[in-house]
Amino acid sequence: MTNVSTIAETPGTTASTVAGAPRRRRRSNRLSPLLVAFVLVPFAVESIWVFWPALQGFWFSLTRWDGQTPPEFIGVDNYVELAGDATFRGALLNTVIWLVLFGGLSVVGGFGMALLLQKERRGVGFYRAALFTPVVFSLVVTALVWRVFYQPDGVADQILRTIGLEHLIRPWLADPQTALYAVILPALWRQIGYVMVLFLAGLKAIDPALHEAARMDGANGWQRLWYVTVPQLKGVNAVVLSVIVIDSLRSFDIVWSLTKGGPYHSSELLSTYMYSAAFQSLRLGYASAIAVVIFVLALAVILGYLVRAFREEA
Amino acid sequence: MTDFDPGRRRFLGNLGLAGLGALGAGSLLSACASSASGPAKSGGSGAVTIQSNLSSPQAKTAIEKLAENFNKLGKGTASVNTIASETFRTQLPTYLTSANPPDLYTWYAGSVANDYASKGLLLDVSDVWQGLGEYPQSLKTLSTDAAGKQVFVPMTNYWWGFFYRKSNFAKWGVQEPKTWADFLAVCETLKSKGIPPIGIGLGDTPWVASAWFDYLNIRINGAPFHRELLAGKQRFDDPKVKAVLTRWREVLPYFDPKGKAYPFQEATTALLAGKTGMFLIGTFFADAAPKDALGDLDFFRFPIIDPAVPVAEEAPTDGFFASAKSANPAGTKELLRYFASVEAQEEYVKSSSGIVLPVHPKAKAADSPLVSKGKAMLESAAELTQFFNRDSSDALQPTADTALTKFMDKPDQIDAILREWQASAEKVFKG
Repeated sequence: MTNVSTIAETPGTTASTVAGAPRRRRRSNRLSPLLVAFVLVPFAVESIWVFWPALQGFWFSLTRWDGQTPPEFIGVDNYVELAGDATFRGALLNTVIWLVLFGGLSVVGGFGMALLLQKERRGVGFYRAALFTPVVFSLVVTALVWRVFYQPDGVADQILRTIGLEHLIRPWLADPQTALYAVILPALWRQIGYVMVLFLAGLKAIDPALHEAARMDGANGWQRLWYVTVPQLKGVNAVVLSVIVIDSLRSFDIVWSLTKGGPYHSSELLSTYMYSAAFQSLRLGYASAIAVVIFVLALAVILGYLVRAFREEA
Repeated sequence: MTDFDPGRRRFLGNLGLAGLGALGAGSLLSACASSASGPAKSGGSGAVTIQSNLSSPQAKTAIEKLAENFNKLGKGTASVNTIASETFRTQLPTYLTSANPPDLYTWYAGSVANDYASKGLLLDVSDVWQGLGEYPQSLKTLSTDAAGKQVFVPMTNYWWGFFYRKSNFAKWGVQEPKTWADFLAVCETLKSKGIPPIGIGLGDTPWVASAWFDYLNIRINGAPFHRELLAGKQRFDDPKVKAVLTRWREVLPYFDPKGKAYPFQEATTALLAGKTGMFLIGTFFADAAPKDALGDLDFFRFPIIDPAVPVAEEAPTDGFFASAKSANPAGTKELLRYFASVEAQEEYVKSSSGIVLPVHPKAKAADSPLVSKGKAMLESAAELTQFFNRDSSDALQPTADTALTKFMDKPDQIDAILREWQASAEKVFKG
């Protein structure tokens, strides 16, 4: 858990620094005490609340620990077990599906909505607000609403029945074929609004003169989108990617409140598996090993992108 | 979010305690002093905190009423801190291992209590038991840990059975089945009338399926085998366990297909509305039932499969254990003595939904035909079991949930499912 929240905070900030702030200002030889304080105080706080628990997480992943008796060192046994654990493999696969579907669709959807709603027209504020509203709700509340939607003879079933598709009706959250996708939908519903706002901010920052010039040169709408808008959004893309990857890997609340990873692990993500290993099976060492895997995954994806972004800018 | 909640409540609870402590910062000190000089009496010691998972409205009122009555006795003060059951379950180890834990906990007797006792987390309440001479030996054994000391004080128990509406059974022209063959016949009749015969609620509450496993196992293989299996002394891939699922498979077509998707509370609603025929559930389900439906409810015991196997019933026993680190062990024990008394248990039965049985042999249960029938069933049973998680551990329960929900979906994969179950159970037993 700590690992996830660690990465949730730090890379986001790094990314936005890369994106926006001027980097080329040389600092003077003497550091101002205020600057030192600004660096050291948060560093001290982070050390206690973030780095230290994260390091402890690494240590716990090498132990067998039930949370009540002292941890017992067992080397890499937890990782060996992970390699042979079918549930873990299923959770890993589901997390990848989640990353691709949830991440991909929220970028596509969010970007599409941002393009649609970027022009100031009458009533556009209403649509923007409507799309952003789901972000305001807590995910647990969202889950409650969607559960009513999915329940037997609930709204989803009624809609299908009205349009004559009752043969498709199934226990959405209890059917292993549909459970994962039935959970992705509410998560997307929320995330699209969030990504839309990020892209809207990016679109606003594009100099209209660029579009003007492109139009003068005879570029059509698609060309302007592809050669002007998208490259100009590079900074926002880094932020969006970090947000998406982090949100995918830490997606927990919505899954837990809708299916708890069930039925029989079919909608299990790494995060829910970690939670149930830790707090239901009371195998905190094993759960820490899963947490380390999540941490490494997130780091790999984000570092991969950042390194590329740096190289292009350099 | 939900995980954070109890911490906050605990924090608020402690603030409340601190407020009580404002009577004098030295109150704790004086408690220590007085317990050193002599038996701690009222006045000197701080309030005893009861960490309670009784969150359904009636049960919550009942336990709060008991605390209130105890406070009037002048033997100490008690305060109740109610926490949602699922949160309570996951946080219990944290409560018990924290530096300044609540004193008393509502929880289960048997292997769960034993497990905590073996780690030295529970208060030895043997001297409370010295005053409980009227209690049957079976309850004392249930409350005794591996080292031979009592760590638990029971207050109530309840039973499981097939509940149904009398008016509906009359309408459909069926009688309570006694044997497995009768049971199959009833299922067939209901199905032919277009009623899903067996209700269940596995969405969000998958542990309800364990009742089926427990009962089939104690009916086919007997309670001793069941206990050994749950203690890790037998294997889940044993042919005897396979026989349990094979038998279960015979009735799978009679289960309500919607039961997979909704929790047991909604399965209760379906039963009361006549949308399912009968429902294997513990009496706690009645907390979610409207009062006017209660009079129409009846139940029958899980049908007998092999008459040669001594009849066992599930009778989960609820009660209290205390933290070994309680700041006020004397007051805690005083409160436990009160909970074990006839008047406390009768008061509890009166204020709660009423379909619970007091464990004190002299305490009167609620005066209703349903309760008398349940009481008689438990008294006639040769053996009592608790429930899957209570006879094993909360850590083993998820393995059962996975295996059993998968079995109900894919009954043709029994062998593979049992192999997986054994593998995941081994991990739990290994720690």
